[in-house]
Amino acid sequence: MDKVRNDLLQGTLDLLILKALSSASLHGWDIAKRIAVVSNDRLSLKQGSLYPALHRLEGRGWIEAEWGVSEAGRSAKFYRITRRGRKELEAEKEHWLSFAEAMSSVLNME
Amino acid sequence: MLSERLRWLRTKCSRLFRRGKQEAALAAEMQFHLDQLIAQFRADGMSEHDARLAAQREFGAEGAAYREEIRDTWRPPQLADLSRTFRFAFRSLARSPGFTVLAMITLALGIGGNTMMFSAFDTIVLRTLPYRASAELDRIYRTTPQNPDGNLSPADFLELQQNASGYGEVAAYAPADTSLSEPGQPAEMASGLRVTSNLFSLLGVQPELGCDFRKGEDIAGNDRVVILSRRCWEQRFGSNPDIIGRAIRVDGEPNEVVGVLPASFNDWRHLGWVDLFRPIGLTKEKSADRQNTSLRVIGRRAAKVSQVEARAFIENFGARLAKDFPEVNAGSTWRLVSLNQTVQGKSGGATIAMLIGLSGFVLLIACSNLANLLLARTMARAREFAVRSALGASRLQLLRPLIAESLLLALAGGALAILVAQWGAEWLAVRSTGDNGERVILAFNWSVFGWTFVASLVTAVAFGLAPALFALRLDVNDTLKTGARGMTGGRGQQTFRQVLIVGQFALAMILLAGAGLFIRGLDELNHRRAGWQSEHLVTGTVVLPAARYSGPDKINSFHRLALERLDSLPGIASSSISAVTPFFNWLDARKYFIEGRPHPQPGHEPAAVVNSVTPRYFETVGTRIIAGRAFTARDTTTSTKVFIINQAMAAGLFPGENPLGRRLAAVGGATASWGEIVGVAADVKSVLPDSGPVTFQLYQPMAQAPQAYDEIAVRTAGVAPATVIESIRGVMTGLDPDLPVRKLQTADATIERTNYQTAVLRDLLSGFAVLGLGLASLGIYGVIARTMAQRRSEFAIRFALGACIKDITRIVLASGIRMALLGSVLGLLGALGVMRFLAAANPGMQLNSPPVLFGTTLLLIAVALIACWLPARRAARINPLEALRAE
Repeated sequence: MDKVRNDLLQGTLDLLILKALSSASLHGWDIAKRIAVVSNDRLSLKQGSLYPALHRLEGRGWIEAEWGVSEAGRSAKFYRITRRGRKELEAEKEHWLSFAEAMSSVLNME
Repeated sequence: MLSERLRWLRTKCSRLFRRGKQEAALAAEMQFHLDQLIAQFRADGMSEHDARLAAQREFGAEGAAYREEIRDTWRPPQLADLSRTFRFAFRSLARSPGFTVLAMITLALGIGGNTMMFSAFDTIVLRTLPYRASAELDRIYRTTPQNPDGNLSPADFLELQQNASGYGEVAAYAPADTSLSEPGQPAEMASGLRVTSNLFSLLGVQPELGCDFRKGEDIAGNDRVVILSRRCWEQRFGSNPDIIGRAIRVDGEPNEVVGVLPASFNDWRHLGWVDLFRPIGLTKEKSADRQNTSLRVIGRRAAKVSQVEARAFIENFGARLAKDFPEVNAGSTWRLVSLNQTVQGKSGGATIAMLIGLSGFVLLIACSNLANLLLARTMARAREFAVRSALGASRLQLLRPLIAESLLLALAGGALAILVAQWGAEWLAVRSTGDNGERVILAFNWSVFGWTFVASLVTAVAFGLAPALFALRLDVNDTLKTGARGMTGGRGQQTFRQVLIVGQFALAMILLAGAGLFIRGLDELNHRRAGWQSEHLVTGTVVLPAARYSGPDKINSFHRLALERLDSLPGIASSSISAVTPFFNWLDARKYFIEGRPHPQPGHEPAAVVNSVTPRYFETVGTRIIAGRAFTARDTTTSTKVFIINQAMAAGLFPGENPLGRRLAAVGGATASWGEIVGVAADVKSVLPDSGPVTFQLYQPMAQAPQAYDEIAVRTAGVAPATVIESIRGVMTGLDPDLPVRKLQTADATIERTNYQTAVLRDLLSGFAVLGLGLASLGIYGVIARTMAQRRSEFAIRFALGACIKDITRIVLASGIRMALLGSVLGLLGALGVMRFLAAANPGMQLNSPPVLFGTTLLLIAVALIACWLPARRAARINPLEALRAE
């Protein structure tokens, strides 16, 4: 399957990260991995866009960070979604889904 | 929820303030990611080395860029932008160091002058005196037609002190310079005050060492105690902590030191640098004296008394004394002035406000120069602006770098300005140092720094806004189209520049005229020698201590002996002793009756200023005797009482009559003591700008009215006056080792010192004028030079069509001169206003001088001509072929 074009990711990056963090707290590497796995490698986050986005979201108070220990026993920075982040995720998800639905109805029209 | 919020706040804080920790965390996070990457490549089967290289490749290429992006997320968004804007502005300024340095120096001088003036204003007008609750303190003056700021007689003061319950408390002091002679040290004149014992407690000042005067010490006999100023204690007594209780020799008598005042007491704005204070020591005889008005009176209003009530009380008291003692007090009134206000002098506040205004003019000229320079810079970048605006940059984004640049310049200039102002204050301190070391000290406190800061900001707006507005009005299309060819600058900018130059010249004209008028006025003042001659004249002051020179005989014999020895010194033509040196200042006036005429209403008798002089006084100071004779050695205590009056008095009292032989008597006193007029002397004018309203002058023989406060005058013959100073001092200390001579210097030096405040004003005005003129000529030079560059091709065409260098030079010069002329004419109007103000604030000075205004205009135009001619010469260097080919 083709990779999704990078520029499409721009507006959705925050949403992807929030979603990835919605069920567990993860470090940067695992966030990228999880998104790649779930999207069948169609969405790949480079560290160049991932980390600035993480720091930006942390600055907004949507996620928060804590140093913990990775599976391999190394110390790593784990991110966790906050309540505000969760609220944001719900709203954005709603928005995105309705947008996607609208897009697909238009694109599929006969 | 709350703890989440708190954690978020903590994150924000550590992002702002704990950069080191943030950086370390970021590095660790990145390292973790890199290691994970390596581990993944290893798992894919790469060798350790290859995996590391591959990871580095994927990671490192854009590493720096996104780390910076991450750091940006740490900063609050506006702050990130702001710091970027300022870094950009800083780099852009650093790229043109010539412009930046010039701009900063211009601003430093402009703002610095302004800051110095403000600190003077702050020190003199805004800051109160260093006394407890100084708003409650008043000065009480006795106003007579002769003297608006007169003092009180001891009897009047005592009467007020005993009946002041409706007001509060009053204290008095009188200057009493004394000699201070310690064994093994030369006798020195110390500036001293005689004070009532409650003065310090009334002011709210406690001695730092020892204690205050006690109540009974006011009375003569108990008054052999002194309180020293901190400065005197440090300099004359080496800060000796055992000074309290020690006896020191004051006027040749032992006096016990009871206290040392704190350093803050000697404030130059009020009492000045007084060395020692003694109790007022009123004898019974003195306490009843209503004639001698020598006491300066200070009062503190009681808490329940308002200022209006206090004023009414004092005015009523004065009116009552005038009614009760009409022979001395008729025509006199009392008035109350807040003590803090007396610091400013009669026009102090207004003069300083004017100086702030004038230094503001300098700043304005500097600003318009900078506006011009910045406008040129902005226009040179017009293409860049046009492109950016075409690409969608908002107005704010376009303006931001310009505003940032001017802000940076102004703040840097402001910082330098504080140095300039401090240097100026040091100059003022040195310039104002008197012979006892007293000097004017300007305070630099937060309000001064605040002023500098605000001045810098206002300045930044003033010179940064204009170019910015022009940048906004740029027509993108036009700029991009004409940008390829030589920019001539739109008509709007041309007009704007010309208006700036005209404004600069108008302001420079005002500054120059002010300075010119003042230089001229002070010169006239310093060379005003009406009725005496200052060349070859040395003057000095001695005060004979009352304790050892009690009675007229002792004083007279001292005078005789001193003059004998002075006259026998080599190189000396004649010498004399007088009570005052009338060309410097007169003391109080006396009123007189004329024999054979009815006595006028009390208070309406003719008044004259009085001097006691020794026989050769008139020939020594060079005052001509117009009729009759001078005093001789035969005018003694036992001979007929005689007077010499001046021409004005002769003409005023005896119009059309011969005054010689007529008799006068001083008003007051139990029996009239008549004296005969034996001579008429020329009128003597003081070198002070304001010499008081009394024009009648009366001399009496020193022998008949001996004075303990003596002015020595010595005229030299054939030798420079400065060379005899030491031998004069030797004569006096030879006669009495406890007798120091003060202010012993040439008359010309005394004149300079007397008018030093006016001279400081002149120097400040001149400094502003030179700065203003320099900046204005720099401005016109720059504009003409730019015109030359912009109209190169036009001139080339003119050359090609047969014009010669002269024609081109004339075109350029004409445009410059038009601006300078227009500015000067506008400035003349302002200069007339300044002239009026100066004349009103400095009565007695000749400040109306049309020739000076005319000369100033010529000077300004001449400078403008030179400033225009320098760049205009470049016309000769235009090569028409090259210039046209370059198109």
